[in-house]
Amino acid sequence: MRGATATPRGLGWLLLPAVLVLALFLGAVALLFLHAFWTKDGFSLAYFKQILDRADYHEVFLRTVSIAAIVSIASALLAYPIAWLLWRLPKWRNLLLVVVLVPWLVSLVVRTYGWLVILGPKGFLNETLRWAGVIESPLPLIFNDLGVVIGLTHVLMPFSVIATLSVLLQIDNRLEEASESLGAGALETWRRVVLPLSLPGVFTGISITFLTSMGAIVTPILLGGIRQKMAGTQIYQEVVYNFNMSKASAWALCLLILSALGLVLLRTVEAALVPKADK
Amino acid sequence: MRRGTITVAGVGKDFGATTVLSDVDLVIEGGSFVTLLGPSGCGKTTLLRLIAGFLEASRGTIAIDGVPMQGVTPRRRPIGMVFQNLALFPHLDVFENVAYGLKIRGTPAAEITAKVARFLGLVGLAGFERRRIGQLSGGQKQRVALARSLALEPAILLLDEPLSALDLQLRRQLQVELKAIQRQLATTFVFVTHDQEEATLLSDTIVVMEGGRVRQVGSPGEIYRRPASPFVARFVGDINMLEGRIATVNGTSISVDLGQHRFDLPPSAIVGRPAAGAACQIACRPEAVTLAGDSANALALDGRIDALHRLGPTVKAMLDTPLGPLTALMMAGAPQAAELAEGKTVRVAVPSDTLTVFVST
Repeated sequence: MRGATATPRGLGWLLLPAVLVLALFLGAVALLFLHAFWTKDGFSLAYFKQILDRADYHEVFLRTVSIAAIVSIASALLAYPIAWLLWRLPKWRNLLLVVVLVPWLVSLVVRTYGWLVILGPKGFLNETLRWAGVIESPLPLIFNDLGVVIGLTHVLMPFSVIATLSVLLQIDNRLEEASESLGAGALETWRRVVLPLSLPGVFTGISITFLTSMGAIVTPILLGGIRQKMAGTQIYQEVVYNFNMSKASAWALCLLILSALGLVLLRTVEAALVPKADK
Repeated sequence: MRRGTITVAGVGKDFGATTVLSDVDLVIEGGSFVTLLGPSGCGKTTLLRLIAGFLEASRGTIAIDGVPMQGVTPRRRPIGMVFQNLALFPHLDVFENVAYGLKIRGTPAAEITAKVARFLGLVGLAGFERRRIGQLSGGQKQRVALARSLALEPAILLLDEPLSALDLQLRRQLQVELKAIQRQLATTFVFVTHDQEEATLLSDTIVVMEGGRVRQVGSPGEIYRRPASPFVARFVGDINMLEGRIATVNGTSISVDLGQHRFDLPPSAIVGRPAAGAACQIACRPEAVTLAGDSANALALDGRIDALHRLGPTVKAMLDTPLGPLTALMMAGAPQAAELAEGKTVRVAVPSDTLTVFVST
């Protein structure tokens, strides 16, 4: 079957964009390595040593991983009922999906500032609670780790909704009928059939939101505490204010390694939790 | 009344403005093997899903062993179901699939193990407990689905074209096994199919459906010999259909004109109300048509053999006759079968006592 799968002659140039993107990506990673190990004093591991030695830097990485873990799990937990609802209401699915995605129409910075209005010391929530007499002084909802978690969860949850929904939509609804005809109620059917079959989507969502949170910059800058840095904000500061590309690169590589480790851990948990479903 | 009797009375089902089922009255005897037979879109699957409780009837009532099923959810009905795509749980192994219903019911573990072993043995899959669903062949999946729905020992098992995805040989084998299992358990089996051969092989009773209505209910033999309408006649087995006209009608005999021929038939051979001059369709099974020369009580005519199909044990001759095309079927070992050849003209006899006449309305 000559030519059945071969690229038609003269269309090879269509690969060009893909090649360019790949080249730029690999080039960037190569530069990262180069900068990280090749400082202005020649080959050096000084910045890696610094990261290993300084307790305040440990704290930044620990905070980054913790916040990413909390955000990804919170997103998954909040997204599941939404995805389930979208799955259950096919007539409303498109409309509800728009509602879920509509925040993405607004720029990240604007959306994040929106949280200032709601969560700030003189924000809507605190003023309402004070007016209602529930609290006397404003709750510290913002400019700390809690603010970052809230902001990131809000920004990233739609990814979890979509990842979960896409797996739910693949579940054959005859499986639920089969479960019902074998005596299971709705909750039991969900626990024994729907949940195990939808877990891969939940884990995909967790992976996406975890990795994105690990590299977050804008949200921690706007909603986080001034001294409570995340790895992303630290790198941003090194690049934009200190022009220290080598230190930024060393940090970026460490972040990359931590992200990869997180992903491996996630896969391990998933493999243990989700029995392989055969198609 | 035997356990597992289904009584369907005046049942209809509408989807929006479309009526997919109307005026279904049917009694399915407990312990019998019943097939709902009809072309796609005839409402057979809808009727099955109404019995299962996945759909609610728009009109009429369904009762199981005398208990009305209105408002009873599928899980509360004494019914098992085998789905067309089987709907096995892909994340569970064979054992867990078969044990599913028993676990829900809270059966003790030792009893579950024993029952799963028993039903896997029944379907010929002993030792397959720990296989994954994805590792099974089509026939094995079929057996797991059967074992899973039988493990709860329901009074009634509904089967929605479960064999349609299998190749013919495997299908025939599973049909034989299915029938044997049904006989052994004496569970009521209600089997949906569009394959009349399958229906004939399996059933005690066939329910022929068309256009959302039940057209005929009877044993496979009755339906084959005395089809209630031209549709049933055509749908169940091969048949020759000839256009004729009722000539005269009196109490004990009706004479029918067919081409140049006129012959008398008893009223029992007539379906519909005969009136002199009314158009009618005359049905005759191919195996009733003989090529052995003229005989008494038979229409005799000349026919030219257009095509000859030798099908192993049988020979099928496509004839061109003055009455139109006719098909004759005979055993390959019959004396005249060897002499037949395409293009040859033979003497065709159609015994009048094998004819069924449908008066057009």
